[in-house]
Formats: sequence, C-alpha cells, structure tokens
Amino acid sequence: MPPVSPSQFAPAIPDASRSKKLQLLGILSGFAAGAWLGAAEAPTKLVSIGISPMVISLIMVIGVFLARWSLPALILGTSSVRADVRRAPHLIIWALLAGCLWAVANTLTIFAIRDIGLSIAFPLWNSNSLLGILWGFLFFNELRQAGWRRWTGVLGGALVMCAGAALLAVASSTAAPAAHSLRGVWAALGAGILWGTMYIPYRKAYLTGMNPLSFVTFFTFGELGMMATLAITYLGLAPLWRELTSARDVLFWLMLGGFVWVIGDVFQQYAAKYVGISRGIPLSNSNQLWGLLWGTLVFGELHGRGVSTYTQVIGGSVLMMIGVGAIAFSSAIGKEQMRWKDAAQRESQRYGVSAEYVEARMDGRQAAGELKPSRSALDWFVVAVATGVFTVFATMARAPRLSFHWGPAAVLSAATLALLLVCGLNLWRTTRFH
Amino acid sequence: MNATEPDPNTRGRWASILSDIHFWVPVAVLMGGLLLLRFIR
Repeated sequence: MPPVSPSQFAPAIPDASRSKKLQLLGILSGFAAGAWLGAAEAPTKLVSIGISPMVISLIMVIGVFLARWSLPALILGTSSVRADVRRAPHLIIWALLAGCLWAVANTLTIFAIRDIGLSIAFPLWNSNSLLGILWGFLFFNELRQAGWRRWTGVLGGALVMCAGAALLAVASSTAAPAAHSLRGVWAALGAGILWGTMYIPYRKAYLTGMNPLSFVTFFTFGELGMMATLAITYLGLAPLWRELTSARDVLFWLMLGGFVWVIGDVFQQYAAKYVGISRGIPLSNSNQLWGLLWGTLVFGELHGRGVSTYTQVIGGSVLMMIGVGAIAFSSAIGKEQMRWKDAAQRESQRYGVSAEYVEARMDGRQAAGELKPSRSALDWFVVAVATGVFTVFATMARAPRLSFHWGPAAVLSAATLALLLVCGLNLWRTTRFH
Repeated sequence: MNATEPDPNTRGRWASILSDIHFWVPVAVLMGGLLLLRFIR
C-alpha cells in the first residue's frame, strides 16, 4: 500500500477561531474531568470498613465496564464505534494496553488510600502530569515551537503543582499510619507513573482520529481483563467469591464510583484530544482539589488535626490551583498545532489511515462521506442491560456506616452536575462529540 | 489501494506495532507496575 504523501495532509493554516474554540473546549473538558474524577474516588473510602483493595478495584471496574459501553451506545451508537475501528484497527492494541495500565494504577491507588489517606494520596499520584509533559513532548510534538511563555506556563505550572503535592506529602507524615506510610507513598507514585504513561495510547488514538467514545469501549476490555486476572491471582476464585457475597451491601456504591469515574475519564479524553496530554493531564488533575473537598468536608478526613496540618494541606492545594491556572492560560497556538499535525501525519503514514479522516477528526468534525451516527436496537439493549445491572445492585445496597456529611455532599454534587451540563452541551454544539 | 483504507496486511500491521516505541514504553511501565503491586501487597 502506498504511504500517504505529505501533500495529502492539508498544509493550510488552521481556522484560527475554530482552533481557539477547540482549545477552550479542551480546557473546559479538563476542569469537568477534574470534578468527576475527584468525586469518583469518594466510594473507595469504603476500604476502611475492611473490604480487600482487590475486590474494591474489581467492582469499580465492573461499573466502569458497564458505563464504558452504555454511555457511547447512548451518545453516538455502537455503529460509530465499529466504523472507527475499521479505519484504525491497530488502535485496539493500545486501547487494551491503556486499560491494563488503568487497572493496575487503580488498584495501587486503593492501597495508597488505605495506607496514607485520600487527601494525601491524590497529589502524589497526580505527579503523572510531569510524565505526561515528557511523553507529549517526546512522542507527539507537544510544546514544540510553543515559545518560552507557553513552556513556562505548562512546565512551571506542573512544577508548582508538584510543589503543592510535596507540601501535602509532608502533611502525610503526621496523618499516615507509620507502619505503612512508605508503602502507601510507593503505591501512589507508582499509580502516577502508570497513569502518566497511559496517556501515550490516548494521545496516539486521538492524533489518529479515533473518537474518544470509541476508544474507551475497547479500553475497558483491557481494564476488566487485567483486574479480573489480578483479583483471581492474588485472592483465588473461592475467597474472591466469598468476599464479593459478604460485601454485597456496598457493591452498588463501588460500581457507582466506577460509573462516575468513566464520566470524568470521558471528559479527560476530550481534554487530551483538544489540548494534548501535556496540558490535559494537569488540568484534569484538579481532581486533587475535588478529592480534598470530598475527603475533608464530606468524610471528615482531617478532623481534629493540628493547625500546621491544615496550613500545609491548604497551602499545597493553593499551589496546585496556581499551577492549573498557569497551564490553562498556555494553550497551543499556530506553530505548535502545525507540529501536532506532523505527529498525526506520522501515525497516518505508519498505519495507512486516511489523511482526510485524521485531519477532520482533529478538527472535531466528521470526515467526508462518513455516515451520521445513529442508534440501533443493539444500543438500546446495551443501555437496558447496564441499567438493569445497576438496578439489581441498588436493591441490595445499604448505606455504609461511615462519617458522612450530607450538606457538603449535596453542594459538591450540584457543582459537579453543573460542570457536566455545561461541558457536555459545549462538546455537543462544537464537535457533536467527535 | 486507496490510502483511505487501512492496510489489510495483518503481518505488516503487527510489524508496525512491534517496531513502534509508543507500544514498548507502555508495555515496560505496565510490567513495572505489576512488579510494584506484587511487592507492596
């Protein structure tokens, strides 16, 4: 097969207003991702009532699996997923790989939360943003010809975020159980490296033109397969079953956590698509602040700690927000975006994917001749099965006996839903979820 | 063959995947993550 010639890639300067709109959309997606990913971590607090981290992670992944099929079926239809895969079948490998990385990282985070607490573990694994910048620069031409101001904004912002994370880690020396604090720190940092690397498949998929909603449907086979393997290997089938049946009262909440995570992850995918991983990851890492709000206001995590701990946690969080702000104001401009196109061209040539398709999807629109997405009976069946499974588990659910403050939970939930509405509407109006 | 269609040569596609550094970096990190999980468990 002849490679796609460079001339097939339109060298024209991208429409500046469209490009700016997509950048803003990516930034908004990053913030929405932060809110939803932060909210999703709250159910993992259930680890404190004695459920194995493996079981918690497995059940969350089952919720994730249901959401990763039902949401794309509901929004675009599975025919759109099939069409995407026909165009770039090689990306299935990267989707499975990314899913495996996610599952291992998620399990590590649960060990981390158990050993050093949610408010502290969050910033440690969020160091993945530095790795995202490195991979984005090395492999996908991100920040190339971006100019010193944007380099300062992105790298400086990420470093300020890390300083904030370090401040929060210092607070862990008083907050964490001494026997396992080092293990918890390793688990959180390991999760950060795995998640930071998981964005290589993300970016590769979106430079090639795949729709984020298509990518996640294959991604989820990797995460469910890996998580089931881990759970069976480490626990054994019979003990795993015993743990599942004994924890049936809280399975629904964990699955719900997985579902909420997927909504955050979908926004994160759009952020990675429209602003790249060097900016998208730090932006969605604002989930640390949401996690802190959930941990402290709803679960009373830092209740009774000394003034110095509060000062460290608040100071660290403020630094992280300053970093996020710096990155948000350093969006990619013309020359850098042309380098993104060079990276997309590499993918197009290497794997023989249509240049027109790649370019249209990078621009957040359908390729010429592409059928309009539509839903079939199969899509409604997928949605019905997912809803049914959630309903069955909801009937078995009991509210876990934890310190839980309903007022702050209602406020945080309302804010999170508002972001879903605003960002979802903008994605629909601007890209029709492409 | 039209450049808009993906390469039907499965062997060629696998060769492209296996010689792509974008594949090996995540694989190496995944292996490291599994080792870490075994260590801390």
